[in-house]
Amino acid sequence: MGIPAAPMVTIAFKDLAKTNAAKRGMPLQRISFTPHPVWGKTDAEMYAYLEGNDPVSGKPLMKEVVDSLTRPLIAEESKTGTVTPPTGAPTFTDTADNLQQYFLDNGMTDFMPIILPTQEKVDAMLKATSHKPDEVVGKMTPARGAFPEWSYTVQHVAVNAVMAGATPDYFPTLLAIASTGISALFSSTNSLVSAAVINGPIRDTLQMNYGIGAMGPFNQANAVIGRAWTLMSKNLDGGGVAGETYMGSQGNIINYNNLIIPENEKDSPWPPFHVQKGFKPEENVLSFFFGFSIAQGQGGKGLGMKPIPHFHEAMSANCAPFATLYGALFILDPLVAHGLGDLGYKTKDDVANWLQKNTTVTLKDVRTMLFSAPPRDSANLPDDTVIPKWPRPESFVFVVCGGQTNPYHQIANMSYRLSVSIDKWT
Amino acid sequence: MGMSPVALAGVPALADQAKKAKAKQGASSAEPKLTVLNPRGLPPPITLIPMAPRLSTLDGKTVYLVSDGFPSADAFLNQVSIWFKKNMPNVTTVYRLKAGGFADDDPKLNAEIKEKGQAVIMAIGH
Repeated sequence: MGIPAAPMVTIAFKDLAKTNAAKRGMPLQRISFTPHPVWGKTDAEMYAYLEGNDPVSGKPLMKEVVDSLTRPLIAEESKTGTVTPPTGAPTFTDTADNLQQYFLDNGMTDFMPIILPTQEKVDAMLKATSHKPDEVVGKMTPARGAFPEWSYTVQHVAVNAVMAGATPDYFPTLLAIASTGISALFSSTNSLVSAAVINGPIRDTLQMNYGIGAMGPFNQANAVIGRAWTLMSKNLDGGGVAGETYMGSQGNIINYNNLIIPENEKDSPWPPFHVQKGFKPEENVLSFFFGFSIAQGQGGKGLGMKPIPHFHEAMSANCAPFATLYGALFILDPLVAHGLGDLGYKTKDDVANWLQKNTTVTLKDVRTMLFSAPPRDSANLPDDTVIPKWPRPESFVFVVCGGQTNPYHQIANMSYRLSVSIDKWT
Repeated sequence: MGMSPVALAGVPALADQAKKAKAKQGASSAEPKLTVLNPRGLPPPITLIPMAPRLSTLDGKTVYLVSDGFPSADAFLNQVSIWFKKNMPNVTTVYRLKAGGFADDDPKLNAEIKEKGQAVIMAIGH
């Protein structure tokens, strides 16, 4: 723009601000820091920040800001050209123990032991796809727009697949995940999570578990595919460095291996999710979701009703804490899906339409919630006006998964993003 | 350029990799060695951006106070405006909320600042 600028950043974002300025081509950008947080402070407290010192430099804050805008540039600040960032040698050689430590110390793991990616193991992985090792699979960033996108090849994905413990037959699925460029470690202060629903015959080919305990640590493919996604989200884009490229205030245990949800197609009364999205039943497809997190739905209004529990009422009630920035993803045991049919809700649309009409909030609730915006034409309506929480039934999404030991559901405050073919990566 | 290229890469953990690796060098020399592949992707080359020339003074100048939309950035920048009124009354401040998400560019606002302003203070964070 050609106009001098002085960023003021709270100190919680110091490392992120400095490294990201460098990655964006201004390694010496004059950044001033305030104490953290600003949010929730009174005017007087914020003014006191301005009258105090920059907690990083120790200099009077506003004098430093003014100085940033008026002190003549030094030659280094006016430099042009390009710099190629290093990412380490193509290979590392050492003993197995030392290599484990090396990968751990350099942030290339999920802090659990890995399978060491020898050339032999990577070659075996590469044989599971027709795509060439040097083919670029995609681009990924810890947060689009905030960090530069890194690119990666089929071989890079294979190295991470080996590290996660994948067998070669998992590889096309991992390439499909990588092809989306979706990081499972999105850099937000909100500790967000990602989910992938898997449909098609590949669920059985890989012997995935979509029955009892499907979403727990009870199956190799379910576990390893999710773990590989996390490792790729660290290594393929430089993500997952806490304080620099990952800013989730509390983090999320789901980030260890994400929500991998093979749909229980055979026990579901409804068409599989990927068919709903226009794919053929015999196609192998990954569908991605993104949002806050997931909650259990064992309790709730209506579940004590006899002879059939009022599942729809519980599902609606369990949406109460959710923000409308994201939708509601329901993972239903097949017993719940069938139970909804017995109650007269025969299709997913039937359930979504009921939920959209009956999951309501007052305008006061919306006006006082974070990440929930009131309708555009509601400014003059009173606080006690009751409105649907989500304006469209499409915000309610259903996937069937579980082993029918009890009619339970789980619910995630997450939105659908996209679906991709696994088959094109075989 | 006065800065470690490692810091530019955004992989600062690599900076001390040699030090860390040495920590385990006491292992038996008879222990077999393996060669493994680097799992990291390929960062794009970084184009260095020269900083805009600085002003000789802010006196008589218009400084835009730009919020990225995070909570309380507007209130914080209001205090910055008050600080200027008290301490540098010859500076005119103009508050603006940047359009789009925190990482999005706002070409319309950029054009306005270029036409009417001489400097920007931007508040980023929570």
